[in-house]
Amino acid sequence: MPRVLMVAILAGVGLAGSIPLLAHHSFAATYFEDKTQTVEGDLVQFVFRNPHSFVHLEAPDEKGEMQRWAVEWGSGMQLSTQGLTATALKAGDHVIVVGSPGRNAEDHRLRMKSITRPKDGWKWNGQFN
Amino acid sequence: MHHARFARLVGLALFVCSSLFSVPAFAQIDFSGLWTVRYHEDQPERSPGGELGDYTGLPLNDAARLRADSWDAALYGLKEWQCRPHGSTYMWRSVHPVRISKDIEPITGDVTALHANFDDLIDRVIYLDGRPHPPEEAPHTWAGFSTGKWEGNMLTVTTTHLKEYIIRRDGVPLSDRTTMVEHWLRHDDYLTVVQIVTDPVYFTEPFIQSTDFVLDPTRLRDTPELCEMEEETDHPAGWVPHRLPGTTTDAEEFAKKYKLPVEAARGGAETMYPDYLKKLKQAGQR
Repeated sequence: MPRVLMVAILAGVGLAGSIPLLAHHSFAATYFEDKTQTVEGDLVQFVFRNPHSFVHLEAPDEKGEMQRWAVEWGSGMQLSTQGLTATALKAGDHVIVVGSPGRNAEDHRLRMKSITRPKDGWKWNGQFN
Repeated sequence: MHHARFARLVGLALFVCSSLFSVPAFAQIDFSGLWTVRYHEDQPERSPGGELGDYTGLPLNDAARLRADSWDAALYGLKEWQCRPHGSTYMWRSVHPVRISKDIEPITGDVTALHANFDDLIDRVIYLDGRPHPPEEAPHTWAGFSTGKWEGNMLTVTTTHLKEYIIRRDGVPLSDRTTMVEHWLRHDDYLTVVQIVTDPVYFTEPFIQSTDFVLDPTRLRDTPELCEMEEETDHPAGWVPHRLPGTTTDAEEFAKKYKLPVEAARGGAETMYPDYLKKLKQAGQR
């Protein structure tokens, strides 16, 4: 069996083994999943909850105008299994977020791909459903 | 006297034999247990959700296309929507496992109802006691009202009184006049549920799909995932996410991505059958 095919099968098995919950809306219908956007700014609020957690931060858009961004993350339950807690991030933390941009540009919304806090090097990147 | 005693003995013997070797008039399978989802089955429909503009395989009409074209997934960001469960028509294709249990009448031992509980989001009751469905004006719910009837080892479930919902998470609607017939089949540790969904408002013919589950005897208890409502994005009060008809190009983008004619991506009963391929070839589109 070609190695690429084997890797794809193993990845599929890994994904199938995870147990996502309360995946209400379609990510493909909400975000441009084939695009990536980076925003850097100060965290306003970290909402650790179900069905999906959110990181809200103040950061400039492409035009340099300050916006409030809503970054969607995994459910509290999913993030807990990855070692995250409600106190992992605090208001005022300076963070760099990479995510898939929302389909409605005026929403200033992203689907989290990674988040970094340069001050202490804390970082999360992974997957969630 | 001897004849009477002999007759009583024969009668007793017949009763004992009939008790030992009798079988129910109709066999019934036990569906009880926690049935877990096979995520690889129609995987894009399960966890990530469908792509906008993908109406393939659905017998929808123009009214459904118009609603789906103007639907906005941001609806699920509204506080009123965040904790809504999927309706019964969608739940089998969701990420949630189903725990099936039964209500037993204590005197007769009859199974009077089954419960299909999806992570406590909805608890569908399937009445097996022959009760009628409520009148049309009775409340509609996410679970709907379900009755079941055994056909050999297959349970056939009929559901009415459903709320309006979607059949696919790209906004293809189902009206509150939708009814659903399900056939539940168990083969060892596999459960197959065949859904036949009829909607006189948005479908031109029934939509049929089957979904498989595997019995999971290791999961003895569920951890409820409580949903909390929270403002997700900043919008004025009363804002309703929507897209105006004629302003979207989802179908064109979906068709281009998967190298389909746009007409095929728009779905409809005609596009669901093998004859449609012949038509496309004749039209030189495939």
